[in-house]
Amino acid sequence: MARPLWSGSLSFGLVNVPVALYSAVRDRDVHFNQLHAPDGSPVETRRVCAHEQREVPWEEIAKGYELDDGRWVLLSDSDLDSAAPRKSHTIDIEAFVEEREIDPLYLGRPYLLVPESESAARAYALLGGAMRGSGKVALGRFVMRAKEHLLSIRPREQLLMLTTMRFHDEVRPKAEIAQELGATEPSPEEVENAIAIIAELEVPFDPSSYRDEHRAHLEAIIKRKRKGQKISVPRATKPTEPTPAAPDLMGALEESLARIRGETLAKSAEGTKGATPARKKAKKSRASTPAKRTSGSSAPRS
Amino acid sequence: MPRSIWNGTLAFGLVRVPVKLYSATESKRIPLRERHLSDGAAIEHRRLCVKEGKEVPYSEIVKGYEVSAGAYVVLTKEEIAAAEGPEAHVVEIEHFVSREEIDPVYYERAYYLGPGKLGEEPYRLLHEALSSSDRVGIGRFVFHNKAHLVAVRALGDVIVLHTMRFADELVPEGELEVPKPDKTPSELELDTAELLIGQLDSKFEPESYANSYRDAVLAMIEKKARGEAIEVPESRQPTPEGDLLSALQASLEERAPRRRRAKETVRPKSTPRPGAGPARPARTAKDPTRAPASAKDSRSPAKSARGRTRGDS
Repeated sequence: MARPLWSGSLSFGLVNVPVALYSAVRDRDVHFNQLHAPDGSPVETRRVCAHEQREVPWEEIAKGYELDDGRWVLLSDSDLDSAAPRKSHTIDIEAFVEEREIDPLYLGRPYLLVPESESAARAYALLGGAMRGSGKVALGRFVMRAKEHLLSIRPREQLLMLTTMRFHDEVRPKAEIAQELGATEPSPEEVENAIAIIAELEVPFDPSSYRDEHRAHLEAIIKRKRKGQKISVPRATKPTEPTPAAPDLMGALEESLARIRGETLAKSAEGTKGATPARKKAKKSRASTPAKRTSGSSAPRS
Repeated sequence: MPRSIWNGTLAFGLVRVPVKLYSATESKRIPLRERHLSDGAAIEHRRLCVKEGKEVPYSEIVKGYEVSAGAYVVLTKEEIAAAEGPEAHVVEIEHFVSREEIDPVYYERAYYLGPGKLGEEPYRLLHEALSSSDRVGIGRFVFHNKAHLVAVRALGDVIVLHTMRFADELVPEGELEVPKPDKTPSELELDTAELLIGQLDSKFEPESYANSYRDAVLAMIEKKARGEAIEVPESRQPTPEGDLLSALQASLEERAPRRRRAKETVRPKSTPRPGAGPARPARTAKDPTRAPASAKDSRSPAKSARGRTRGDS
């Protein structure tokens, strides 16, 4: 099993649960190594002291903070811990809130919390059970890798999931973007048509139906090249120039609707072929219960 | 106006919206750099060819994919870019979903979308349609050599784009070894824990959480810069996992007086009047310090609060 990224104590009132933190996501990207072109051998990064011009082992490296006068203060890990000793080892649950109050803008990385012993597992199960009962998520704070994180904790399948969150001052104001917007409002007919397109394309959210095709393409290219095949590189298009906005928004909307509806008709005429399962399900459930469609959806949470 | 980090087109049916992408978040980390412990000098990262043992200029570096130990397939920049396909600068909205259906675990990074050149009208139209229908658009685009699933939604006056994780990026819980509890929690423990959750119930107000660690680290740095030694305080030991129930009850007790003013509705629930039915009688009965207080509570909450403060001091 992977090593935990952090371990410490989850504190809920006066109950302390020793826990370890593991990443809830893993990188599935295709990774490349740096190679030296003339001889094809791997390139390694070495840490070199700029003063002594020699390679420095990891143990001899400190974290430095530059003062205004150009001097540096060197800090060890224990110095950094000393700034907030409790937060570096303890996740204090401070409040419980409704999950839907947390705007996704605040969400960072997800982790899984694992109790560190059988007795910890009991207190852990207690917190999980009580959170399921209340339907709330916990909010707290802790320090990991020299950074304080706001965090939320919610029950997932068997485990509690911790999600780091951004502090309010880490979310940029959107007013500057809003300023760019002019005063021309879309006409009611345009909005109506746009909403009709949304309704036609509505499905239950099924994350497993979206695959990373780019990754698959890249893997296929690597395979072909390994076999000595030539990779055809498409001629570079000039992508930066945005396509001019459709001069006739209304026309584009109506044409989109006609095409989407035409496709749907064609598909239902030729049977199930080509229609994605999610799409069909959406249509069916929308027909029966237009407003409460979410209740029957295949959302990943139970 | 912040600088946009990507320009392209958002396609929605046949409507094409020229858009610009802006980071919606920024990390407020204390800037720390690697320095050499013995002399404080800067640490440089140098690329060394493993075979020749000498430094390699960037121009001589190519990207290789390791197909088996030590065997690489070299790809040029153009070949890597070929995987992107012709529509690399288009965010194509494929579906629309309800926000409640999206498990928050899928949200990765957040960006604001602004209108691009000639994009103002279709931008406002899409914004209005997303906002009135209360739906989230799901699409895909390639950004920084990586394909992203994206969610596009209206927030206030603007459109937010979230990059999303693919389902196969999630770690299944079954991969982790989890100790089984020696004993399952009792009903009473669960009820008490739920009461504690009730006491801590609040609204999410992001402004009310300040990053105090940053200030603490800066204060520590200042102290160290003046040549003062850093004291490393002992970290608090986790309380022994003995009696869970009494720890829960003590937590309730600790919070109650403080929270009383803010949360009037919580108090009566957590201290049932004696004889008010079998709601949760065992808790108060087990805790001798609690029973008289709750009896007073039922007559005059304010008075008993003062009484308790005196008693505690």
